[in-house]
Amino acid sequence: MARFFVGFLVIQALLFGAELTPWAQTYFVVPWTHTLASLSADIVRFFDPRVVADGKILQSADGSFAVSIEAGCNGVEATIVLIAAMLSFPAPWKRRLLGLAIGVIAVQGLNIIRVISLFYLGQWNFDAFDFAHRYVWQALIMLDVLVVWLLWVRTLPRAAPARAVA
Amino acid sequence: MPAASIGRFVLRVAVWLPPAFLVWYLAGPLLAWPIALLTTAVAKIGFADIVQAVEQQGHLVVIVSTLKPTLSTTQSMASGVLSIELNVLLYSFGFPMLVALALAAGQPHALRTLLLGYAVLAPFVTWGLIAEFLKHIVFDAGPGVASQTGFTSVQREVIAFAYQFGVLILPTVAPAVFWVLTHRRFLEGLAARERVASQ
Repeated sequence: MARFFVGFLVIQALLFGAELTPWAQTYFVVPWTHTLASLSADIVRFFDPRVVADGKILQSADGSFAVSIEAGCNGVEATIVLIAAMLSFPAPWKRRLLGLAIGVIAVQGLNIIRVISLFYLGQWNFDAFDFAHRYVWQALIMLDVLVVWLLWVRTLPRAAPARAVA
Repeated sequence: MPAASIGRFVLRVAVWLPPAFLVWYLAGPLLAWPIALLTTAVAKIGFADIVQAVEQQGHLVVIVSTLKPTLSTTQSMASGVLSIELNVLLYSFGFPMLVALALAAGQPHALRTLLLGYAVLAPFVTWGLIAEFLKHIVFDAGPGVASQTGFTSVQREVIAFAYQFGVLILPTVAPAVFWVLTHRRFLEGLAARERVASQ
């Protein structure tokens, strides 16, 4: 468990530091954030055609309300935590890669729900939006990461969890 | 102890989360008090030359600096000193998450675990508050204020990283890690259920 814990902290710090570099921001974070806004707009247009994405902003077509997807809301940090947790836990590489692929989809899927729900919550009541945005959704995303990791640990071969908790 | 189901566990977390958030928000000033004391100690010991006082106002912590603000028009010093208002809730929202996880796990001595969790996590909340204060004076308050701090360029990079880490990672990861470390038997039970089901 100590090795898992230390590995988790080190990998997380390294990935987070890498994320903050200009190179990562330019070639990964910003394009991903724009994609997130686009995906959210595409999904919303199934039931509300008056929504558009402009860069990292999801907004009403008439400009009456918009949300800007900033750092902490693009799911990148949550994904970093998940990657660190899966890479530092003893497991076969094939299981890690499969877990990461499914886990990233799960985390980003919930993040899209976050963006869309906050977009409409903000139009209904800004105080509720503020509370949900600052506190509740941050906790829910991390809970999602934790649950995904727990589900993945349960699928591992029998010896792996016993080594990690020793 | 019977092995737990993840599905039922997640449902229990979902049930506990709303009341946990409600109590945490309403008890904000009370929960902020020890953190304000810790922040005062850290600020006075680590940054005595730029911190004059630390005050608590409900769930807010106000750090009164010794730095003179600059006028936006002329960059000359205004009278008075710069105070930065910090929201403890922005760094402590992992507490209700921890409460929901601990109560949903249903392990013995949950209250003791949560009290220990608060004690362990309070320094991480202080990290966030201090880092935000430093970030404000170095990057947001203008070059006239930043130059009064005497921070080197390396120290400024460290402040930027510490702030980002303190606001984006620590508030949720620290409570989650604490919960994992204090609920290993429960987690082993979750893993055991899968092995039993697959046999």
